[in-house]
Amino acid sequence: MQSEPLLKVVDVRKSFGKVEALKGVSFEVYPGEVVALLGDNGAGKSTLIKILMGIHQKDGGKIFFKGKEINFLSPSEARAMGIEAVPQGGAVVPFLDIARNFFLGREPEKKWGPFRFLDIKKMDSEAAEAVRGIGVRVRSPRDKVNVLSGGERQAVSIARVLHFKSSLVLLDEPTLNLSVKETDKLLASVKELKKKGVAVIFVTHNVYHVYTIADKFIILDRGEMIGFYKKGEVDAETIIDTIRTGSRKTGMVRRDDE
Amino acid sequence: MKQDRRKPFIFPSMGVIAAFILLVIIFSAISKEFLTISTVAGILTIAAELGTVTLAVALLMISGEFDLSVGAVYAWAGVLLARLLSSGLNSFLSLLIVVLFALIIGLINGSVTTKVKIPSFITTLGMMMALRGFLLIFTAGFPVSYKGQSFLIYLLNGKLASDFRVSSLWFLLFLLVFSFLLNRTRHGNWSLATGGSPEVARALGVKTARVKMINFLLTALFAAIAGCFSFGRFKMAYPTLGTGLELEAIASAVLGGCYLAGGYGTIVGAFFGALVISSLRVGLVLIGAPAYWYQAFIGVILVLGMIVNKEIMKRVLQA
Repeated sequence: MQSEPLLKVVDVRKSFGKVEALKGVSFEVYPGEVVALLGDNGAGKSTLIKILMGIHQKDGGKIFFKGKEINFLSPSEARAMGIEAVPQGGAVVPFLDIARNFFLGREPEKKWGPFRFLDIKKMDSEAAEAVRGIGVRVRSPRDKVNVLSGGERQAVSIARVLHFKSSLVLLDEPTLNLSVKETDKLLASVKELKKKGVAVIFVTHNVYHVYTIADKFIILDRGEMIGFYKKGEVDAETIIDTIRTGSRKTGMVRRDDE
Repeated sequence: MKQDRRKPFIFPSMGVIAAFILLVIIFSAISKEFLTISTVAGILTIAAELGTVTLAVALLMISGEFDLSVGAVYAWAGVLLARLLSSGLNSFLSLLIVVLFALIIGLINGSVTTKVKIPSFITTLGMMMALRGFLLIFTAGFPVSYKGQSFLIYLLNGKLASDFRVSSLWFLLFLLVFSFLLNRTRHGNWSLATGGSPEVARALGVKTARVKMINFLLTALFAAIAGCFSFGRFKMAYPTLGTGLELEAIASAVLGGCYLAGGYGTIVGAFFGALVISSLRVGLVLIGAPAYWYQAFIGVILVLGMIVNKEIMKRVLQA
């Protein structure tokens, strides 16, 4: 293992009113690692991801990214440091064309006096190149994202990660609504990211989708980490069992309040 | 099969442009006076007032919000400018005050909608009622006219050659500005994304609340500018000015292909939407139809237009 973790989450807490969504979660992610974040609905997976994305802010604990302590106040801050989020259903807006989607949030601009306007040429050519590079057949970068299948939309998000050289990708339920073939393709892309040294946090409640590619499994239940396994330490059934019963089976688990 | 149906000349604002051409053909067949310079100038004069509001309303709708208070802001701007000028205040200072007034209204609409998270339909409905009420109190229901001379009035809506007015030039300029804003700037792209999928937009770093706020400010500002055009035309304003304008602006934008739920629309479409409604108003007067026909026709055209737009969009989005 590398000595320096890319992401280090230490005792992170978050409450919404009286509801404690995260009751102190700690883990580390190394470059090129695929971390599966598992748990039933309401386990706190989305809250954790949204904190890393900069949508929510943590109430307590510490987060270190690339060795620096961070507290993202907005998604643009997280993106600027190299954390790319792929929200549920893919990170694309339906009525925008492929190029505009590809660059959404960080469109290249040209300056003309005090005015700034989009560098459409650059957007079109770079988006087309990047998306074709990952194997999506697109006629034109001006096509609306509507013409793409669910898997191709995910691929646009993945192409974005590679293009902007992000170092950590947050995939929130990426296999939701994907066909079997598309799921395979997505998993292949995740392996591709891993090969390039990109770390991936893969949120899902389908263990089988991540079982073959994940290096670590983190299981949350009602805001607590109830399971932490490394690849090979555990079989899929044990993980499912842990999620279902919400109690520890093996591994390092801390449970101090009942 | 799908390839055959895809024709190269399909584009989003095709329906509204076709409707406009159809209207021109029908009206000029019935009345010889329709295709004259002075009628065209008349249509452009009315379109400049409705259309200036529509362009901004379209951008706001694209980002997923409504503004029902534009008609009231329009009336307030006209009345306020008339009062300020009559009081002897410097013309441009008067205009500046009207602009500030509009921006404050936009700021309130935007803040209540984006910060308190009240749907803009309700926020701006309340704003409309409040502004209308206060305007009646402020004017006691009487029209306000301005007897003096001011270069500002000429600049807003003075007469050019053969019945054309300055406001039409402004309207064409605004068309260019808003088209550019929507299609060629980050704010335009962010407006489309904010209306199309706010969650994704936010995750990708789009400041959706700021995008909406800017569009609320622009909408109020351009509603006020249109109100000043109207005042410039009559040198008078009355408290019920622009009643129903908010719905005409939405109708124009929607006719032009804007999605009611946000995320899609074009400025050129909104421009032609405003032209359709303005030609209808002028054309019906010319052919001698009773005034009530106007509303009935808008209603029918709106629904027919939507049906056509739906078919066009199906093809545009699948192309």
